[in-house]
Amino acid sequence: MLSRVAENLFWIARYIERAESTSRLLDVNYYATLEGGSLVQEQWLPLLTITGGVKAFRAQNPKADADAKSVPFWLAFDLYNPSSIRSNLTQARENARALRDRISSEMWECINKAYHELCFDTDGVMANDALHEYCNRVRETSHLFFGIALSTLLRDEGWQFLRLGQLIERADNLLRILQVRYQQTGTSVVAEALENHRWMALLKTVSAYEAYRKRYHTRLEPQNIAEFLLLDSTFPRSVIYAVEGVRDSLKKLPNATKIQHETNWLAARLEHSQVADMLDPEALEKLLEDVNNIGAMVQSTYFHLDA
Amino acid sequence: MFKDYNHTGFFDEMFEDGQPRAHYAPILERLSSIPKAEFERRRAASDLTFRNQGITFTVYGDSQGTERTFPFDPVPRIIPATEWAHLERGLTQRVLALNAFLRDVYGEQAILRDNVIPRELVLSCSNFRREVFNLKLPLGIFTHIVGSDLVRNERGEYLVLEDNLRTPSGVSYVLANRTALTRTLPGLFEGMNVRPVQHYTTVLLEVLRSLSQRDNPVVVVLTPGMYNSAYFEHAFLAQQMGVELVEGRDLFVADGRVWMRTTIGRAQVDVIYRRVDDDFLDPVEFQTESALGVPGLLEVYRQGRVALANAVGAGVADDKAVYAYVPKMIEYYLGEKPILGNVPTMLGWDKSDLEMMLSKPAELVFKAVGEAGGYGMLVGPASTQAEIKSYLAQVRANPRNYIAQPVIPLSRHPTYYPDSGKMEACHVDLRPYILCGEKVTIIPGGLTRVALKRGSLVVNSSQGGGSKDTWVLGETGQSRGLEDTEQSQTQGGI
Repeated sequence: MLSRVAENLFWIARYIERAESTSRLLDVNYYATLEGGSLVQEQWLPLLTITGGVKAFRAQNPKADADAKSVPFWLAFDLYNPSSIRSNLTQARENARALRDRISSEMWECINKAYHELCFDTDGVMANDALHEYCNRVRETSHLFFGIALSTLLRDEGWQFLRLGQLIERADNLLRILQVRYQQTGTSVVAEALENHRWMALLKTVSAYEAYRKRYHTRLEPQNIAEFLLLDSTFPRSVIYAVEGVRDSLKKLPNATKIQHETNWLAARLEHSQVADMLDPEALEKLLEDVNNIGAMVQSTYFHLDA
Repeated sequence: MFKDYNHTGFFDEMFEDGQPRAHYAPILERLSSIPKAEFERRRAASDLTFRNQGITFTVYGDSQGTERTFPFDPVPRIIPATEWAHLERGLTQRVLALNAFLRDVYGEQAILRDNVIPRELVLSCSNFRREVFNLKLPLGIFTHIVGSDLVRNERGEYLVLEDNLRTPSGVSYVLANRTALTRTLPGLFEGMNVRPVQHYTTVLLEVLRSLSQRDNPVVVVLTPGMYNSAYFEHAFLAQQMGVELVEGRDLFVADGRVWMRTTIGRAQVDVIYRRVDDDFLDPVEFQTESALGVPGLLEVYRQGRVALANAVGAGVADDKAVYAYVPKMIEYYLGEKPILGNVPTMLGWDKSDLEMMLSKPAELVFKAVGEAGGYGMLVGPASTQAEIKSYLAQVRANPRNYIAQPVIPLSRHPTYYPDSGKMEACHVDLRPYILCGEKVTIIPGGLTRVALKRGSLVVNSSQGGGSKDTWVLGETGQSRGLEDTEQSQTQGGI
């Protein structure tokens, strides 16, 4: 398979996954902050941190506060933000155009339709309080896209690159969220209902609330939540699920010995980890580095060959 | 939309002497600034969301047998912090007394011995269960989930209209309405400090778990099945708690315990949140033809090897005739004055009350004592002579089974009518949900039901009612800050 094609498949998955992740983050945070007044007034800055755009946001909006108007605009619509939903969908479509002969025509149509519906005339979305519908459409696009892929793509090398992109992006996004959320704990004593509200929001951000409830029949314990999101290999959005999935995909790819070595080592460490040892900032940072290192190795091994 | 709004004649929740009450002022201004067409578009969108999510109930006896959505009105009902604190105290006091009464009446019966409540009245309740006499319950609690109905009279005083101590429903709408309103009109919430409600299911699960001695008790929700009118709620609660939703046929009794049938054999069940009435719970002890229950369940229950919420027999305390004595229970058990009053009630059981009931039926609301959900009611002023006559014949035949109350001029609240495109005043009530475990927890607010039929005083969903999101405002507090990390990667660069 052409390196260029492989790279496009890898990145189309990352862009769509990232658009979905950002839409969840935005949707849940926006609606969770409506209740509870200033006590749960989650500042909007953490969302910039999670999506890695604090400096760019400041450069682009030197005077604006990170608030309920500026941050949603930045995360959803601002084309100056390379990680905004609009930017992601636009880039996903660019990749899809380059792949029109590779991906199924249903996949192309799904992404092209979403591009036309969601990347233009977005000025009215905030003004009409339609952010929820917008985020919902983004989520549906992602589900539809990967769902079509699941039932139409050949299980060849291309499929493996699509999987790798989706899983690496998923693990990366989740770890960034955890980094920020677990820094916040213990900073202040809030009422039980509000604390509950916050953890619920975290779970919903990664669409894990209902699944978590089925797994743990206790109150929302921060440690159990972390354990679920990091180490439960039956939950399809957990970090360990992503790493194991990457490991399985690599088995089907050529020249993967070195990456496999790193991935197997990471998977093995996760499989034998206790959640208590993973929650300090350095441990999460290290984990994020390891995941992104695998992503970088995929790129250097398959996409950026020296002549 | 508020043009021509009539705030007179009754206590109006939003207006006082033509001016908005302070806690409503911001949302009145915001609502008034939304163009009607836009408001209508959003309202219609929220209706569709309810339908798509399957948030519906079934009306019994409806020939079409259709699932209906419970109409949702986007104008929220607002309760200020101090008013709520008063309600919270009053409701807590009330559920403590009701549980004390239930312990007593199925035990020593001191209150009957002391003639505070007539023995005959209590023992003749259809919901009095001799089967649980002298039963020792975990935490001594009979009624873990309570949904008392509150109304406000012409002076705005809150009164308890009835206590629902068996299987009160509707809490899922409290949660669904909140979600719906945040999506439909997020701007209304800004700066209002509305207290969250979504922790209900977490607390409910805690309460249910606390009823078992085992370390990791297995909790289930027992539903009569998908044709029950409140099935959506049963499924919703089970899902939000992450526990199994079971029907009677999924459970069985063996070796002195209750089990559920699973793919890997039988699994012990420790706590059952049952949404099945006492009568149908165990065909061995109660209705023998019931297919909804579990044969032998009650014996295991008596042995203390399974917990039920709410307990069997709790219905004796929400019998509409026994209701009249709740203020006396509060004084008797707690030595306190009741914080929340009752609606004056005449008992068919009492000769002189009965005479009064029969002499001026057109001014009264009649209710059958053991019914709920607005079934078995007669609203005198809204009924024809013929309806009254046939109803009174039933009352005469079985006076113990009926009570009557004066018509309470329920408070009204602005409510949007799609057909007139205007706000109109509708009568409302309030059903807060109270959880009793080691402590009493009340979710801020509850379900505000609206009588949508113009002029009607009946708010029940089965009788054409709708509902509103209910806000309890909190005190203000302070927010906190956070820090920064770095940039994410994009295509092309490594």
